[in-house]
Amino acid sequence: MRARGIELRRDFFSHYARQLGTLSGLLGLVLVLWALTPHFLTVSNLLNVAEQAAIIAIVAVGMTFVIITGGIDLSVGSVLAFAGVVMAEALHKDVPLPVALAVALGTGLFCGLVNGALITLGRLPPFIATLGMMSVARGTALMFTEGRPVSGFSGGFRSLATGEVFGIPVSVIIMVGVYVVAHLVLTRTKLGRYTYAIGGNEEAALLSGVNVRVYKAAVYGISGMLSGLAAVILTARLNSAQPIAGMMYELDAIAATVIGGTSLLGGEGTVVGTLIGALIMAVLRNGLNILGVSSFVQQVVIGSVIIAAVLIDMWLKRRAG
Amino acid sequence: MKKVLVLLLLAALSLSLTNCQRGGEPAGGGRQRIALVMKTANNPFFIEMQKGAEEAAKRLNVELVVQAAEREVDVEKQMQIVENLIQTRVAALCVTPSGSREIVPAIDKANKANIPVVIVDTRVDAKALSESGGKVATFIGSDNYEGGKIAGEFLAKKLGGKGKVAVLEGIPGHETGDSRLRGFREALKATPGVEIVASQTANWERDQGFNVFQNILQSHPDVQAVFACSDLMALGAVEAIASAKKTGQITVVGFDATSEARGAITDGKMEASVAQSPAQMGALAVENAVKLLKGEQVNAEFVVPIKLITKENAGQ
Amino acid sequence: MREIRKTFPGVVALDGVDFGLRRGEVHILLGENGAGKSTLMKILSGAYQKSAGRITLDGAEVEIRNPAHAQSLGIATIYQEFNLVPHLSVGENIFLGREPVRLGLIDRRAVNRRAAEVLNGLGLSLDPRRPVKGLRVAEQQMVEVAKALSLDARVLIMDEPTAALTEHEIKELFAAIRGLKARGVSIVYISHRMEELFEIGDRVTVLRDGRSVGTFDVKETNKFELIRLMVNRDLTELFPKEHAVLGEEVLRVEGLTTRGGLKDVSFSLHKGEVLGIAGLLGAGRTELARAIFGLDRLESGAVKIKGETRRIGSPRAAINAGLGFLTEDRKAQGLVLPLSVKDNLCLPSVDKFTSLGFVDAKRERRAAERYVKELRIRTPGLDQKVVYLSGGNQQKVVLSKWLCSEAEVFIFDEPTRGVDVGAKAEIYQLMNRLAASGVAIIMISSELPEILGMSDRILVMRAGSVACELPAREATQEKILECALGE
Repeated sequence: MRARGIELRRDFFSHYARQLGTLSGLLGLVLVLWALTPHFLTVSNLLNVAEQAAIIAIVAVGMTFVIITGGIDLSVGSVLAFAGVVMAEALHKDVPLPVALAVALGTGLFCGLVNGALITLGRLPPFIATLGMMSVARGTALMFTEGRPVSGFSGGFRSLATGEVFGIPVSVIIMVGVYVVAHLVLTRTKLGRYTYAIGGNEEAALLSGVNVRVYKAAVYGISGMLSGLAAVILTARLNSAQPIAGMMYELDAIAATVIGGTSLLGGEGTVVGTLIGALIMAVLRNGLNILGVSSFVQQVVIGSVIIAAVLIDMWLKRRAG
Repeated sequence: MKKVLVLLLLAALSLSLTNCQRGGEPAGGGRQRIALVMKTANNPFFIEMQKGAEEAAKRLNVELVVQAAEREVDVEKQMQIVENLIQTRVAALCVTPSGSREIVPAIDKANKANIPVVIVDTRVDAKALSESGGKVATFIGSDNYEGGKIAGEFLAKKLGGKGKVAVLEGIPGHETGDSRLRGFREALKATPGVEIVASQTANWERDQGFNVFQNILQSHPDVQAVFACSDLMALGAVEAIASAKKTGQITVVGFDATSEARGAITDGKMEASVAQSPAQMGALAVENAVKLLKGEQVNAEFVVPIKLITKENAGQ
Repeated sequence: MREIRKTFPGVVALDGVDFGLRRGEVHILLGENGAGKSTLMKILSGAYQKSAGRITLDGAEVEIRNPAHAQSLGIATIYQEFNLVPHLSVGENIFLGREPVRLGLIDRRAVNRRAAEVLNGLGLSLDPRRPVKGLRVAEQQMVEVAKALSLDARVLIMDEPTAALTEHEIKELFAAIRGLKARGVSIVYISHRMEELFEIGDRVTVLRDGRSVGTFDVKETNKFELIRLMVNRDLTELFPKEHAVLGEEVLRVEGLTTRGGLKDVSFSLHKGEVLGIAGLLGAGRTELARAIFGLDRLESGAVKIKGETRRIGSPRAAINAGLGFLTEDRKAQGLVLPLSVKDNLCLPSVDKFTSLGFVDAKRERRAAERYVKELRIRTPGLDQKVVYLSGGNQQKVVLSKWLCSEAEVFIFDEPTRGVDVGAKAEIYQLMNRLAASGVAIIMISSELPEILGMSDRILVMRAGSVACELPAREATQEKILECALGE
C-alpha cells in the first residue's frame, strides 16, 4: 500500500512536473506585473488578456498536435488568412451564418489535408510541404481579394468575438471549448494515442497496426481546421478579413507550444502546457504594453522568455530522466 | 506542490483585492496620461510624429505614452495595444490606424470606456465607422488625395506632357495609399500623353520597393519616371535605378519628404517628394487631446498643409 | 572501484559494487540485463557520476568528472553503438577532435600516416582514406579500437563487442585483444556470450541486481556456476523445449514472391507449432516476415489464415488477421520509447478498449497490469516510459503487445538478440507457454543452437526461397549449414 502511494506520487510528478513548472512561471509573471502596476490584475484586464490570447491559443492547439507527431506546420498563418477571406466573401454573398462558419473550417481543413497528403503520399518533409502551403495559401488569399481586405459584417457574426456570456467574451469560451475537446482527444481517444505513438516512433507505430498515413494527414487537417476557426474569431474581432492577416502567427504558435513543454522531436507534449504557453505570451505582451515598454524592448523580452522556458524545460527533463 | 498552492491562493486573494480598487486614479502625480498609438515605431515618418507629440506633451505638461506594433500592417496587434491602454485608463487616445476599417472595433471599445479618440494621419473608413456607430473626436492629417494630385501634376509637367510612368503602391486597402494613388491618377488624366505602364504594390517597404522596381525595369526598360506612395519605397527605387546604372535618367517622385529623401533630392537622385509634416501632426494630436480633456470644442478635422519639396527647398 | 552506488530517481541502479582491474588482463563483466553493467561502465567512462563509493587509478583516488576527463585518464570506451561519423574517413574518425594541424589547416597527410601506424599496430591493413560508411561492422569496430589506442588508453571498455560480428570477425577481434593485452592494456569486456568468456577472459565478475556477487579466475569456474550466480537459480537446461500438441493448420503461405527478393515461398504452420527459420544473412528471412505482415507488397502468392485467403496489405490487416510481429530491432521498430509501458502494451489493440470514441483507461490498466504480472516485467509502474526499462523487460513489453492483441501467429525475428542468459530462458519458457496455449510461432534466428533447441520444424532459406525443410529431430547444425550454403 505504501509502495503504491509512492508510485502514485512519482507518476504525478513525472507527468505534471513540467506543467507545474510552466504554470508557476505564469503565476510568477502575474505576481511581478501585479507588483508593478495596479492596472494588470483586474478582472477586466484578465478577460482582456484571455481574449487577446484566444486566437494564437487556438492555432497553437493544432500546432501542438502536429509537433507531437514530430512535424511542424508553417502554413497556419496563411491558411488563417485564406480561410478568413473565403468566409468573408461568403458572408458578403449573404449565406447563412452556419454555412459561412462551415466554409471557414472547411477551407482550413482542406488546406491542412493537402499538407497531410503532401507529407504522407508525397513523402515531403513537413517543413517543406507547409512552407510551400504558407506561400500558396497567402498568394491565393491575395489573388482572391485582389489584395484588399473584405470588411463589414452583421452583428450576429461579429458577436462571435464581441459577444459575452455571463461577462465572459465568446472568443474565450470558444478557446476553452477547443482546449477541453483537444485535451480529451489527446488523452482519451485513439487519435490522441496514435498521435503520440507516431511522434515517438513512426516505424513502431506502423508495425503496431497504426495507419500512420491516415492519422498523420488527420493531424494536419486538424491544424488547418483550427486555423479556420481562428480566422472566424479574428475576422469577427476586426470586422474585417485581411489577406495579409496572420503573418508570423506560425512562430507565435510554435513558441506557445514549445514554452508549454512540447518537444520539437515529437512524442511528448500536452495541450494544457500549450494553453499556459499561449497565456504567458499574451500576459507578457499585455503587461509590457501596460507598463509602456517600447515594442523594440518587447521583442527582446519575449525572445528571452522563449529561450528561458525551453532551457528550464530541458533542465527539468534531464533531472527527471 | 505546496508552493504552487500557496501561489494560487495568493493570486486569487490579490485578484479579489485589486478588484475592489478598480477604476483607481492614474499614477503620475495627477498629470493626465495621453496615449499615442502609431502604426510602427521604426519608420522615419512616425519617428518624427513621435518627436512632435513628445514636445507638445512637455509643453502642455501631460504624460505621453507612445506605443506601436512591431509591424506596420499588424492590425490585430494594434487592436491589442489599444485594448491594453484602455485597461490602464488613459485619458485620451491618439491613433494612426494600421487599417482604415480594422481600427473601428478598437474605436468602439474606447468609446465604451469614455475615452476620446483622436485619429492621426490615416482616415477611418467613414462607412465602417457609421455602421458601428463609433465616434471619433477629430481627424488630424494631410489631404493625401491632394498630395497625390500635386505629385501627378508635377510629374506630368516634368515629362513635358508625354512619357511612361511606373507607380509603387502602398498596401492595398490602406486609405492613405489609396488616396494618394487616386489623386495621382486624377492628375494624369489631364495629360493623356503620360501613360502609367506599371503599377504594383511594394507594401510600404524599402527593400520591396527595390525589388519591385528592379522587376519593372526589366519589363519596361523605357520607363521614364516613377511615383512611389511613400519615400521608403521611393528610396528603394532609387537604389534599383543606381544598380541598373540609370541614375539621373529616371525621375523619382516620393511622398512624405523624410530627411533621407530630402538628401536624395539635394543629391539629384530624386526629383521631388510631397511633404507632410508628421511632427506637426503629432503636436496637433496632443494639443487637441488636451483641449478635449478640458472640455473644449475642437474642429472635426485639421488639415496639415502639404507642399512639394524639390531641389530648391529641400534644405529647409 | 569500491562500494560504488548509483541512484536514479526511484531506482537504485548500483548498490555497492566492487570491481578491480589488473594491468594487461581481460576482465569480463557478466550479468543479466538490468544488473547494472552498463551503469557501472558509464560511471567509469564519465558519462554518469557515482552517487557514492571510491574509484582509484594506480593507487590514487580519482573523481571522473566527464567523458573527456576519463579519456585524459586513459580510460576509453567502445559502445555497442559506435561513435563514428559515417561520412568522414577512417583516419579523420580516429583523430576527430585532435586533428594534427599545419598552417591552420588540417594536415591530411599526417592524419593518414599516423592512422596507418595505429592500424598497423593492430595488425590491420585498412586504408585510412576510406570513408567509414563503406566499412563492415567489424572494420568499424577496429576503427573504434584504433581511436582508443591513439588516445594512449590504458583501460579499454568494450560493451558487447561481438554482438554484430561473424565467427571469422570475432577471431580477428580476439587476436587484436590479445595483442593489446601484450602491450599492457587492461580490458573490461561486457558480454552475454558464455563461449567467448572462456576463450578470451582472464577473470570474470558477476553482477546481480546492482551488486557484485563475486570475482573468479575464468579457469577455476564453469558455465553453470556463473549462470547460477547471475540469475540466482539453477538452469539445468538452456533450451527447455516442451513439445506442444499440434492442432489444426492456422497459416498457409503459398508461392510468396516479392520485389524485395522472395521467390515462391510456401509453407504451412499449425497450432502449437514452433517453426524455426534459419539461413544466412540476406537469405530473405526478415523479408518473409515483412511480406506476411503486410509491410511489403506481394508480387504473387497468397496467405491463408485458417484456410481462408486473406489480403494482407498493411500491418493493421495482419493484426486483424491474428498476426503479431516481434521485430529484430525492438528500439527502432518494436517500441515507442517515450511512451509508457501501458501505452506501448495496448497500442495494437486500442480499438478493443475504445467505446463511444473514448479509450477506457481503466480496462487498459487492468489488461496491462495482468501482462506485467504474468510476464514478470520489472517496472516501477505502468506509467514508466519504456525507454527506462532494461532490454529483456522491453522485449517482454513487445511480447505483451501481441498477447494483448490476441495474436494467434507470432513471428519472432531474432527474439534473444542482445538479451542475457536469464532473460533468454524466460523468453523460451514464454514460447513454450504460448505454444501450449495453441499459438503458432515462426521463429527467425541466426543462432543455430536456438533453432535446434526450440523448433518443432525447421525451414532453411537460401537466396529468397526455401532450401529445405527438416523435422527438428533429424536436424543438426551441419545439415542446416549445408542447406543454407547450398553445398
